[in-house]
Amino acid sequence: MVVNSIFGQGDTIIVLQEVVLSDSKLQNFAGGIKVRQLSDSVLQRNTGMLTDNLQYNTPIYFKQNGYGMVSSASFRGTSAQQTAVVWNGVNINSQLTGQTDFNTVMAQNLSEIAVRSGGGSTQYGTGAIGGSVHLNQDLSFDSPFQNTLGVGYGSFDTRSIGYTSEWGTKKTAYTIGVSHFSSTNDFKYLGTDRRNENGAFTNQNFDIAVGQLLSGSNLLKAYHNTFFGNRDFSASLTAPSDDNYRDLSTRSLLEWTNFKTNYIQRVKAAYLSERYRYYPNKERDDFSFGKSGSFLLNYDYLYRYNKWKLNAILEANTVNAEGSSIRKENRNRLAGILLISHKPSEKFGYGIDVRKDWVSDFESPFVFSVDLKYQPTESYALSLNASKNFRIPTFNDLYWEGAGAVGNLELLPETSLQAEIGQTLKTKNYSLSLNGFYIATNDLIQWRPDISGTWSPINVKAATQYGLELESEIRMKSGEHQWQWKNGYGYTKAIANESKNQLVYVPLHRFTSNLVYTYKRWGSFMQGLHNGEVFTTTDNNQDLDNYLVLNAGLNYSFPKKIGIETEVQVVLNNLLNENYQNVAFRPMPNRNIHLNLNFKF
Amino acid sequence: MRLKNVVTLVALGILTIACESDDVKDFEPLVVGDYQSGILVSNEGPFSNGTGTVSFISDDFETVESAIYNQVNNEDLGNIVQSIGFTEDKAYVVANNSNTIAVVDRFTFEKEATITTGLINPRYFISVNGKGYVTNWGDTGDDTDDFIAIINLTTNTVEGTIPVDFGPEEIIANANTIYVAHQGAFGQNNTISVIDAALDQVATTITVGDVPKALQLDAANNLWVLSSGKPSFSGEETAGSLAKINTSTNAVASSLDFTTTEHPNHLGYDGTNLYYTLDGAVYSISTSATSLPMEKTFDGIAAYAMTVKDGKLYTTDAKDFASNGSLSIYDLNTKEELMTFELGIIPGGIYFN
Repeated sequence: MVVNSIFGQGDTIIVLQEVVLSDSKLQNFAGGIKVRQLSDSVLQRNTGMLTDNLQYNTPIYFKQNGYGMVSSASFRGTSAQQTAVVWNGVNINSQLTGQTDFNTVMAQNLSEIAVRSGGGSTQYGTGAIGGSVHLNQDLSFDSPFQNTLGVGYGSFDTRSIGYTSEWGTKKTAYTIGVSHFSSTNDFKYLGTDRRNENGAFTNQNFDIAVGQLLSGSNLLKAYHNTFFGNRDFSASLTAPSDDNYRDLSTRSLLEWTNFKTNYIQRVKAAYLSERYRYYPNKERDDFSFGKSGSFLLNYDYLYRYNKWKLNAILEANTVNAEGSSIRKENRNRLAGILLISHKPSEKFGYGIDVRKDWVSDFESPFVFSVDLKYQPTESYALSLNASKNFRIPTFNDLYWEGAGAVGNLELLPETSLQAEIGQTLKTKNYSLSLNGFYIATNDLIQWRPDISGTWSPINVKAATQYGLELESEIRMKSGEHQWQWKNGYGYTKAIANESKNQLVYVPLHRFTSNLVYTYKRWGSFMQGLHNGEVFTTTDNNQDLDNYLVLNAGLNYSFPKKIGIETEVQVVLNNLLNENYQNVAFRPMPNRNIHLNLNFKF
Repeated sequence: MRLKNVVTLVALGILTIACESDDVKDFEPLVVGDYQSGILVSNEGPFSNGTGTVSFISDDFETVESAIYNQVNNEDLGNIVQSIGFTEDKAYVVANNSNTIAVVDRFTFEKEATITTGLINPRYFISVNGKGYVTNWGDTGDDTDDFIAIINLTTNTVEGTIPVDFGPEEIIANANTIYVAHQGAFGQNNTISVIDAALDQVATTITVGDVPKALQLDAANNLWVLSSGKPSFSGEETAGSLAKINTSTNAVASSLDFTTTEHPNHLGYDGTNLYYTLDGAVYSISTSATSLPMEKTFDGIAAYAMTVKDGKLYTTDAKDFASNGSLSIYDLNTKEELMTFELGIIPGGIYFN
């Protein structure tokens, strides 16, 4: 972010940096929490959907129902509904399913993606149990008019085109982005003479953010995102498919900020909508649908006093949903949140958060979080946190009324208690971090058949997750040569308390590596994902083998000509032509190549 | 059960599956390819991504083997193994979601052919008069394209079709007359089609209670139809019923009705009594009874599938539908549980070699 000098020096700059960012809690109230940012250059390596960006660069495990199909996250061994996705500070998980399909989010137009590990319900609400993924749009005041046009073409008729533009005067700033990504996705199933059938998809995405400084202490911002996806749901090794799925989601946010050096108050209004149509046979007109609209009003007051930061938030939310198999329902929610951060010395800081939601239909628990960071030397830090978090039942869980399945109005929210300890060692050229976590979840909501064979969600036994995350980064520079090597290893035990079995689709071991080398105008990378064995049945009788996927890329930036800077990138995915399945009986793409051209002007 | 709906739920990421622990005896596997005398159980397999299997348990209960088709032929049967039908020496394994039937030697399970064309959502197979008949839902979004596929048992191909009413499910034959229960696919129906196997045409239809699920022929050649009634989620719940059809007139001779919220399932016949399941219990009723029994024959039984044979009750438990299920065998006289065997995922059909 660019901050203009007219706003003066010192505190005001810090305040402005903060108010421009809608999700400033990530900076203000996450002292003892592990937060990792994914930079532009990281995002550029994987041009597809957010699943591709995250799975090679974070400890989050993704389960894709075939490439490009429904993709759900498992963060620290938790369920898809236990990872919150937060867009400019607003929780955007589906009201119907409680989760975000990471193949319906495109990161190309975002300026920052942050991954916050561990419980965050006090700040981000329902679903922030395993962790949260933050999609942020930045605004740059007083910055030049800048445009980027990217086009790409690759294997399986994969096409991408994207355009972004940003500009900022001293008072006004905007950023806009349009992107399109499509593929016939008919890759060969290795070791067979078959191809991935009925797997084509087309995704379109539009983002805009506008900021207007009304005065030296008042800022008005508006954000919008529209995503439209049209996917055929692919066949598998044993079953053909002629299904199609279309979804449209919109997110709009209007935020007014009034600020001084010692306080920031914000009023936010947001409207989120989602709708889907599922065609069991795409040749026919019959479809089932679901839709929801969520309106949110939020008042946020942050007060700074000496080494204290106090933040009080009041949020009101009303959600309407209906569908072929959900009766029309409305849910109202009110939340009160208090966040306290105290940094008595440069070396030591802590935070205490509390939150209570009042939801129509059921009792939502009181939740809390405490975190602490101790940094005795410049290079070493110790962090601790503990929290209680929750996940409220979704509209499907409560109001589903379809053939063979009914919702359950008696459901309780899932609650979890967790603790984490982390250590980081950081110098100019390397960093090393080790985090250990423990999560105990009660009242997990799971769909089970009753005695007559009708499926219904119930609160079942508890699950326990614990594990380690080890991350390292090394940077080296020698003349024009630069290297960066990042590694991440995750060890995740996710245990169903009653059976003592590992939960399905949670790998015990997961390893990611990214090696980047740049020389003058040349750049290259190599990235790898080793995914350990996962069980596919709850009795752990069946499993999927571990796999290793390597990707590599090479890019060159041509010198600027007639005001245009051109960059060419070639990416080779699945270099080893590994025959692997991420979900049983659904082979993933064989070796494939993509060419991307980026023009900056 | 209405699997495709659940498949849809899974596909949309709505369902997550729980787990359950169980204790079963471990058995030695027997020699691969010897399934002369014993019990065959078809396991549907996981909902969306996977294959069904067939398990075998020897008559003396000493040996049990899972996924026998895969072991013998080194390939998968297909997605959602709905049922198995038989001729004297062959077995026809119906994979519903894969639209295939694997034709195997019923005693060695060696593959002889796979029928891959002409089937759309196949459900049950029966052989009559040297031909095979398979109920097919057709496209599940279309209530008017349901049919019976006629299989040429020499070439193992679909050689003709008989259009039938919506949602054909179980199929049974009395000499040259075929009876098809129209359970109603994802919806509900209430008819029995009567097909003349000599003409391969629907001779007549019989109206029975809603959702006819199971068929049995008794010793006097009466056809018994167990209907479950419409479930509560249909919005117009109706009672289950047990109807007796006179096969010479093809008319309903008598019908016993359950109460509206009672939805019985499965129908077994041991030569004297009929057996059905209701709310976790097994009931038995004489073919001459004029009212439904009050007393449970067995209680506390999870029966995803149920049948009776030679003085024994066989039931399967699908557990959480995401782990191996089991088969339990009870003595019908002593009510004692004799054995429990671990099977594959969602055991849905019990057959005898």
